[in-house]
Amino acid sequence: MTEPLLKVERLRKSFGSNEVLAGIDLEVHERDVMCIVGPSGSGKSTLLRCLNHLEKPTSGIIFLRGEPIGLRWKGNRLHEMTFDELSRQRRRMGMVFQGFHLFPHKTALENVTEAPIIVKGLRPDVARAEAMEMLEKVGLADRADYFPRQLSGGQQQRVAIARSLAMKPELMLFDEPTSSLDPELVGEVLATMRQLADEGMTMVVVTHEMLFARDVADHLIFMDGGVIVEQGDPKQVLTRPRHERTQSFLARVLPEAV
Amino acid sequence: MSKTSERVVSGRPDIHVVKPIPVRSYGQWAGAAVLLVFAALFLKNLTTNQNMQWPVVRQYLFHPDILSGLGMTILLTLLAMVIGLSIGIVLAIMRLSSSPVFQGASWVWIWFFRGVPPLVQLILWYNLALLIPEISIGIPFGPKFATWDTNDLITPFSAAILGLAFTESAYAAEMLRAGIQAVSSGQVEACASLGMTRSQTLRRVILPQALRIVIPPIGNDTISMLKFTSLVSVLALPDVLYSAQMVYARTHQTIPLLVVATIWYLVLTTVLTFGEHFVEHRLHSGTPLSLREMLRRLVVTVPFRRQKEIAS
Ligand SMILES: Nc1ncnc2c1ncn2[C@@H]1O[C@H](COP(=O)(O)OP(=O)(O)OP(=O)(O)O)[C@@H](O)[C@H]1O
Ligand SMILES: [Mg+2]
Repeated sequence: MTEPLLKVERLRKSFGSNEVLAGIDLEVHERDVMCIVGPSGSGKSTLLRCLNHLEKPTSGIIFLRGEPIGLRWKGNRLHEMTFDELSRQRRRMGMVFQGFHLFPHKTALENVTEAPIIVKGLRPDVARAEAMEMLEKVGLADRADYFPRQLSGGQQQRVAIARSLAMKPELMLFDEPTSSLDPELVGEVLATMRQLADEGMTMVVVTHEMLFARDVADHLIFMDGGVIVEQGDPKQVLTRPRHERTQSFLARVLPEAV
Repeated sequence: MSKTSERVVSGRPDIHVVKPIPVRSYGQWAGAAVLLVFAALFLKNLTTNQNMQWPVVRQYLFHPDILSGLGMTILLTLLAMVIGLSIGIVLAIMRLSSSPVFQGASWVWIWFFRGVPPLVQLILWYNLALLIPEISIGIPFGPKFATWDTNDLITPFSAAILGLAFTESAYAAEMLRAGIQAVSSGQVEACASLGMTRSQTLRRVILPQALRIVIPPIGNDTISMLKFTSLVSVLALPDVLYSAQMVYARTHQTIPLLVVATIWYLVLTTVLTFGEHFVEHRLHSGTPLSLREMLRRLVVTVPFRRQKEIAS
């Protein structure tokens, strides 16, 4: 078995006395798509945000290709990384948010070229050419010069995906990327993600779209109360859940689709 | 069967054919008439009152002394604003930092320079030598590498810049803090996820947006600063006002020279107001503002304009 791309060991996170993640272990292998589902407040976003240290774990380690995130050995002593050291690791993991978070003062194209130019030091013309490729991939080449406020929610989210892809990340994290979209716009974003998965991008996706999880995920995780209650093959988990908590969650969110 | 669904009343014309009589605002007309009478009186006084001495005004309006004073006024305004804004950016960032020492230092600075009137500050800075006779660079509480006599460093000009810029820095810091806080934390997280460092995030994402938000208040502050610079006449620094005062001290033509100064201040504030509207419009829509639209905006403020549009 090859070394996993991402490995989470004994991850715990508390906000004050509120323990939100109560010991999470998981592995994501290269080219795999992992979907995480679970009721509101179960800690899905917190887990995802711990992966690239947008939240600092209370304890536990996240390894990216065997390298601990946010920590550095100096001889036999373990040091916390500074923000700027951490940013070298963060750029290897793209992240797409529920609320897009595009830069409103920049055009779609500039949103995509920004990080490659200033973080990677790419020449502007090279960055623009690459960014156009990314926009092409998400089907928005003709919107390159639009500002975010001139785009629909679905288009904004696809620009946000292109923005992350432009950094050539080793894996992509998605936190409910379609949850703030009007129903008729969900499809275009899911199609883009499906295409990414087909191209072999490693993805961790928190989602409420059970059909997407069933069809695209290689591995499904059901979380509740800060722990992984059940995991495995998505069809298995969705059609024949073994745990009572999974069953009652699925009964609520699945009409009869799956 | 009539063409309209309206109930027919004999003698009344068809509602679709007649033109309604517009609303007449008699109150507004009466008020306007009174104002026009006052305006006429004022203009008559302005033009015919011999004490205004218009020929003297004309003689001094472009006098070299007055023009060099004008240059000084503009220089003071620009320098004080640039230095004040730069310090303000640092203060705003300190105020939002997680270190209580930075927060506290910034708070104290803002508290002091917002609380002490600029006139008091100008005099205080000018007399700094009485408080601190020499200024030196060296190791705190240790040896000194270089020392200057405070009196050599503090000229009327540097005292004026210090007083005006420090006052501005306190106001700018508060404006910028609000501007920075208006940038969503989600964007900051997006920057982090893209691998941007703290300073890259600040320079490329936060400040450009914060500055856009604070352009209108900065425009206002620049106009205030222009007027504050007239305080430097207490330091005998020859700005427009002091240059005019020097002339009338000699010639006793007090009123016409004050009119000269007034005209120049009005010209400068008008230019600044236009400039501010221009920049603001540019930032919001990316297109320059037409002169006609700019004039319209200067005259009619937005809510009233909207009311007019709704009514008509
Ligand atoms: N920054 C924070 N400070 C304090 N508590 C937090 C913070 N972020 C999350 N929490 C708490 O952690 C718990 C889990 O939140 P989280 O956002 O991870 O849930 P979620 O599974 O993503 O839910 P949803 O499906 O609604 O997005 C919640 O009870 C929330 O109140
Ligand atoms: Mg969430």
